[in-house]
Amino acid sequence: MHATRRLPFTMAGHLMRSASGPGALIGGLLFVMMMLAIGSLGVGVASLDVAQTVAHWWRAEATIATLVLMELRVPRTLLALLVGGSLGLAGAALQGLLRNPLAEPGIIGVSSCAAFGAVIAFYSGASVLAPLALPLAGIAGALLAVVLLYALAGREASTLTLILAGVAINGFAAAATALALNLSPNPFAVTEIVFWMMGSLADRSTAHLQLAAPLMLIGCALLLTSGRMLDALTLGEDTAASLGVRVGRQRLLLVLGTALAVGSGVAVTGAVGFVGLVAPHLMRPWVGHRPSQLLIVSALAGAVLVLAADIAIRLITIGPELKLGVVTALIGAPFFLVLVMRLRRQTI
Amino acid sequence: MPPYVLVASILMIALARADAAPPQRVVSLNLCADELVIRLGQPGTVKSVTWLARDAALSNVADTAHNFPVNRGLAEDVVPLGPDLVIAGAYTARTAVSLLRRLKIPVLELDVPRSVDDALAQIKMVAAALGVEERGAELVEDIVSGLSALPVHPARNVQPIAAVYQPNGLTIGSGSLVDDLLRRAGLRNLAVERRIDNYGALPLELLLFARPDLLIVNSADHSGPALAYEVLQHPVLGQRYHGTRVVSVPSAWWSCPGPRLVDAVRLLQQAAQRLPATDVRP
Amino acid sequence: MRISADAITVVAGTATLLNDVTVAAERGQLLGIVGPNGAGKSTLLRVLAGLRNSARGDTWYDGRPRSSFAPQQFARALSYLAQRGPVAWPLTVERLVALGRLPYAPTWGVKDTQGDAQISDALRDTDTSHLRERVVDTLSGGELARVMLARALAVGGSALLADEPVAALDPYHQLQVMEILRARADAGHTVVVVLHEITLAARFCDRLILLDAGRVAATGLPTEVLTDQNLHATYRVTALRGEHDGASYLLPWRTD
Repeated sequence: MHATRRLPFTMAGHLMRSASGPGALIGGLLFVMMMLAIGSLGVGVASLDVAQTVAHWWRAEATIATLVLMELRVPRTLLALLVGGSLGLAGAALQGLLRNPLAEPGIIGVSSCAAFGAVIAFYSGASVLAPLALPLAGIAGALLAVVLLYALAGREASTLTLILAGVAINGFAAAATALALNLSPNPFAVTEIVFWMMGSLADRSTAHLQLAAPLMLIGCALLLTSGRMLDALTLGEDTAASLGVRVGRQRLLLVLGTALAVGSGVAVTGAVGFVGLVAPHLMRPWVGHRPSQLLIVSALAGAVLVLAADIAIRLITIGPELKLGVVTALIGAPFFLVLVMRLRRQTI
Repeated sequence: MPPYVLVASILMIALARADAAPPQRVVSLNLCADELVIRLGQPGTVKSVTWLARDAALSNVADTAHNFPVNRGLAEDVVPLGPDLVIAGAYTARTAVSLLRRLKIPVLELDVPRSVDDALAQIKMVAAALGVEERGAELVEDIVSGLSALPVHPARNVQPIAAVYQPNGLTIGSGSLVDDLLRRAGLRNLAVERRIDNYGALPLELLLFARPDLLIVNSADHSGPALAYEVLQHPVLGQRYHGTRVVSVPSAWWSCPGPRLVDAVRLLQQAAQRLPATDVRP
Repeated sequence: MRISADAITVVAGTATLLNDVTVAAERGQLLGIVGPNGAGKSTLLRVLAGLRNSARGDTWYDGRPRSSFAPQQFARALSYLAQRGPVAWPLTVERLVALGRLPYAPTWGVKDTQGDAQISDALRDTDTSHLRERVVDTLSGGELARVMLARALAVGGSALLADEPVAALDPYHQLQVMEILRARADAGHTVVVVLHEITLAARFCDRLILLDAGRVAATGLPTEVLTDQNLHATYRVTALRGEHDGASYLLPWRTD
């Protein structure tokens, strides 16, 4: 076995390991999340005194400020946290399942296929008749992507095969989405591909939140149960099975959880990339690389990332509002490049 | 005078007359131009209008447009018709227009009208190009008298503020035809008060805090759902903007020079009148 | 736990991997599965470990079928050490060995009271206690092999099935691992090991089963199985034989 290049901050992680454990990390992330959430409520085009507005709302006094706060900023903040959490969690789970640190919903095509499903539901008018059709179509798209991934890359895929399969699936999904939008009778449809492919939290309402949140939460719950299997898979499927893990069944639950969490989120916010890559990677050294411990901290880190990105977007007042996916790509794409280069230096 | 000089002179005079003859093969590449050529053009001289002219949601002459062949704004549609006058918009079909120019086909470009006066001037210009100046003048006269015939209500203490809310959350600000119509209807334009130019974004939060009295939206487009319309249906708007506080104006009425401008102003005026009494505001 | 397999036949597509194989692994015994490449040794081990179904034939665990065990119960009783594969994540040795305790903490809230002791014992038995805090991808080949074995030992079951545990190890570590397996068997466990190294098999195993192209070529004591005739027929080699301190040894010497 050859010694591999050590990542510098794994040492820090191992030092941090013993006494504090993941508890301190989770506490820290939750604190940051709270702070960002409160900050997010105060950021927007209009200036708002958050404390005063909350007081008004608490006393059931309806003012414009309470309206803006509760109907615009709160849904946006909550959706940012949910979407970020789902993506971070799904990324950690997929990486554990595929035993590959480059796996994440965006790269392997789950997000873009979910977007395709949502586009079909939205522009065909199906979601007007039955609002639930939108997130369900997103989930169906996400499931399709996983099926395609296993068909293309197989179970024991190397990094190269995995990335190539992801490229193929992303390409297919983007083309299919563009076609669907082109065929829509509405002239705005064609330009809206930017939303679906890059994602945005702008003007999301409580209706969007209510539509997607339950399914996202169920998906996240399913994903959180996969910790044991992911730990066991460290040594391969056979060893995992011998340790009493029902690999086939757990894998199915994980796939289902990913589809639910990512699919329904994408349906209301479009495909946001790279969060599922960056969040687990940042957190991994702090939990000693254990897949089971990575799940919840990745979720929190993802939530923090997306909310921070969204706050940044709202603070940048030059020009039209940036798409969320643009910001996550600006951070994530260089990250991805560095990861690929690192992995090239290691044995395949 | 030698005979050839006589023949040459007659020919030159004949040719000069030919130059001054009105165009016989007119093609329109622009929705507003469609309406004008259909209303003003001599029968048989209009060879093609855009396909948008047949869409009742976009065009004021949708029924009549069925009598004309349509084009899709491509040079390929236009050149085979051998036009002697093409009317295009200043901002659309750019590649087609530059190709037509290279082929030495006369092109008249219409800018987006920025006021009612602008619109009337455009009507006159198009009428002149078509060689139907009298008809043009008539149309202008109709519009002017229609506008002045609108009832004049006593000026309110405070003029209500309106906000135009378009798909994608865009509003229409100063220096635009719509803005002029709003003024003529006795409304102040929120976009102007907030210094939003021409076509600018009006963030939802800003709209809510500004609390305009009237929200002006497009009539529902029946061509299928789009994200652009989602913001118009945001539940947070429904709390205040329903009933008399919303008016829906067919976009065809206020986009182009034509008699429908009068209808647009009348509709806006009526909406302004129906508003509940506004609170005193600066 | 006694593991017995009766008339096992395993097929994959059109290929028959195992054909009518019968074998038993007794308590306190070190059973070696030997044979040339492609003979079906790993497949047989996986069938015995309950990881692979057979098209025909049955496997019995203390006289009971696999299905009569609850999954966690079975996982605690039988420990499987796979062929050297990559470790997906750079865990510390302690955490890697702790994976062997997964059958004892199947759900949240269930504590593994014996865990720490078992892990320490496993590390001690494999002479890897000093590596406890090291990250696994900084280990040498021999160290990693012993750590993987420690993981299998940490399960603490009564049966240990190991697939080529000494492949690519230097002589020191080969002997060390075999001695650990031997000690395990002597302590009363059932140990089954797949080996390429017939010298080690002859020396350390109580019983051998020689496979060739999916069929049983011979079973019994090493001296009964690794005869010149069998070596010639299956491995196509000739071996040198000798004796030392009352124990006999053999060395593959020449190809036939």
